[in-house]
Amino acid sequence: MITKKIQLVLMAILIAVPALMFSQAKITGLKIIENVYNRETGNDMQGDLTMSLINSRGDQRVRKIKQFVKDFGKMEKKIMFFVSPADVRNTSFMNWSYDEAGKDDDQWIYLPALKKVKRISSDSKSDYFMGSDFTYDDLGDRHPTDDTHKILREETVNGEDCYVVESVSKDEDYIYSRTVSRIIKDKWIGLKKEFYDEDEELLKTLTVKKYEKIKNYWTILSSEMHNVQKDHTTKMELANVKLDTGIPANKFTERMMKRGLK
Amino acid sequence: MRKLYFEISWVVFALFIFINGANGQSLDLSGYARNYTGMLLTGNNEYAIIQNTFNLNIEQSKDKVAFKANPYIYQYPNQEMEIGLREAYLDIYFNTVDLRIGKQQIIWGKADGVFITDIISPKDLSEFLLRDFDEIRMGITALKANYYLDDNTFEFVWAPYFSSTQMPGESSTWFPQLDFPVPPVFDYSQKEVAAALKNSEVFAKFSAITSAIDFEIMAGYMWDDDPTMHITKPINPQTHQLTGITVAPRHHRLGLAGGSFSSTLAGYVLRGEGAYYNGKYFNSEDPTLADGTVKKNYLHYLIGVDYTLWDIRLSSQFIQQTILNYDEPIKNDEYENTMTVLASKDFLRETLRLELFSYIGLNNSDALIRPKITYDLADGFELLLGANIFVGSEGRFGQYDHNDMVYTKIKYSF
Repeated sequence: MITKKIQLVLMAILIAVPALMFSQAKITGLKIIENVYNRETGNDMQGDLTMSLINSRGDQRVRKIKQFVKDFGKMEKKIMFFVSPADVRNTSFMNWSYDEAGKDDDQWIYLPALKKVKRISSDSKSDYFMGSDFTYDDLGDRHPTDDTHKILREETVNGEDCYVVESVSKDEDYIYSRTVSRIIKDKWIGLKKEFYDEDEELLKTLTVKKYEKIKNYWTILSSEMHNVQKDHTTKMELANVKLDTGIPANKFTERMMKRGLK
Repeated sequence: MRKLYFEISWVVFALFIFINGANGQSLDLSGYARNYTGMLLTGNNEYAIIQNTFNLNIEQSKDKVAFKANPYIYQYPNQEMEIGLREAYLDIYFNTVDLRIGKQQIIWGKADGVFITDIISPKDLSEFLLRDFDEIRMGITALKANYYLDDNTFEFVWAPYFSSTQMPGESSTWFPQLDFPVPPVFDYSQKEVAAALKNSEVFAKFSAITSAIDFEIMAGYMWDDDPTMHITKPINPQTHQLTGITVAPRHHRLGLAGGSFSSTLAGYVLRGEGAYYNGKYFNSEDPTLADGTVKKNYLHYLIGVDYTLWDIRLSSQFIQQTILNYDEPIKNDEYENTMTVLASKDFLRETLRLELFSYIGLNNSDALIRPKITYDLADGFELLLGANIFVGSEGRFGQYDHNDMVYTKIKYSF
């Protein structure tokens, strides 16, 4: 009798331990955020970005940008040409980001009035991009290892099964005390994200409005960032998206920053 | 009268281009209209400037070729209208080579607001250093050839015709202070450099951008954009009295070599630039010199840093000019030290900007302090309120101590 009980316990252990191990190895918060960060987006991408800045009175200002991105293996190069408003037309911005954790991006800006390409510091990733509600980090450049991540739960959002992941910065002085993201399982798209300020108050919410599979890559086409404290909103829309067209490497050079969209 | 017809024809031409562009042809038109009004803070609060500007960029590109023309008009209520072409050039693009032919602004170096290796485009100093930088730099007629190899660039410039610095007129409030015991007579007969092949200028540059550092190495064989003032002081042999002073501005050949760099370090951008000028003329009080000038070699260099502190963008530069093998009677100091300081901060989602820029002359304790506030009333419509405060009584900035002014610029960009 005792032998039978021992056999049952052993069997239970033999079944439960691997199952437990499997479930623990299945996925972690870090792995989910890494999957979002490393989501396949093609070897290169180009598109027209429209940012609409809407204030609490509903007044709207629109910024238009043509952008090109190319993966060079251990680094990614991005070049942006500002199309409007008129006073920033022909300004261009180039960013080289690196897979290597801790290595800062290299950034340059070309100001047509100065006719000069200037190297700028990429240290201020908490700066807002062109007066919008998106910081440079919010635009997707934040490395997963800069935060610690924890799965809070799983839930369904707009019919999509999502992981809910809380991310806390390793840098105590970071502008967000924490963020909470809803990541679509298997698509690795952050569908919704809440940003909490240093006082743990809700600061901003990001909502992805439209995403499509283009050439087998899930691509975000429309998103909206709402600053709930100041009642600002920034709508970000990407149109005329082309993936894997073989953008030449020399597109991402000082020569092209100066030449512009010619 | 001929000049008036010329000016009117330019206006008609610009309007023609504008209307054609507006009718749907693929010309790219951009530019601005601007009112600039400045008032002196001294005396009777005279207007330092009332200027209406129309600036038009006309561009078109077709696959391997492109052109740009940049006509502009400065209109003043109390003086002659100024019409010109800041740039007018043609581009030809090859696989690894670009050619640009025509009148163009060519800007080199990493310095801000200081001209060390940035010596190809001459300066328009009609209003000292107060104009926007794209208005201070004058276009020159040149052939520019660029060869690209990855992120490396070889640039060669041939300027067949010399253009000098545009100085303010003798009656202008910006005419430099002269230190003569009696009013001099100017003799401009030797100022012009003849338009001939032998008088052309050549420049070459190698530049690279890398993850660690950006740098440029350059050399040039040119004319000094700033004329040397050759001074003769005839003495009456009987009375031993000075009978008058004649100042003859003349340009001289100049060779120079230099370079610049820019790099980031822990959130700081470090910049440096320097050049060695071979054979630059300086004014001297040595009585044995027939025309009051002496030729010396000269160094001009700068170190600068840009960083952000509490969301305020800060930038500072230290500049030194050194005359080598210095002689005591030379009017310039052996070492002239200058600093620049810039602080700026954006508010209201980058529609409001506060900025303070200052040149500080360390030798003469003089300065030019330029605070300004800019507000974007709408996209492309900018209101600017600023001041130019000159501190000190002598030196490059102190000499304009009586020209302190406040000004507004209202600008519509399209």
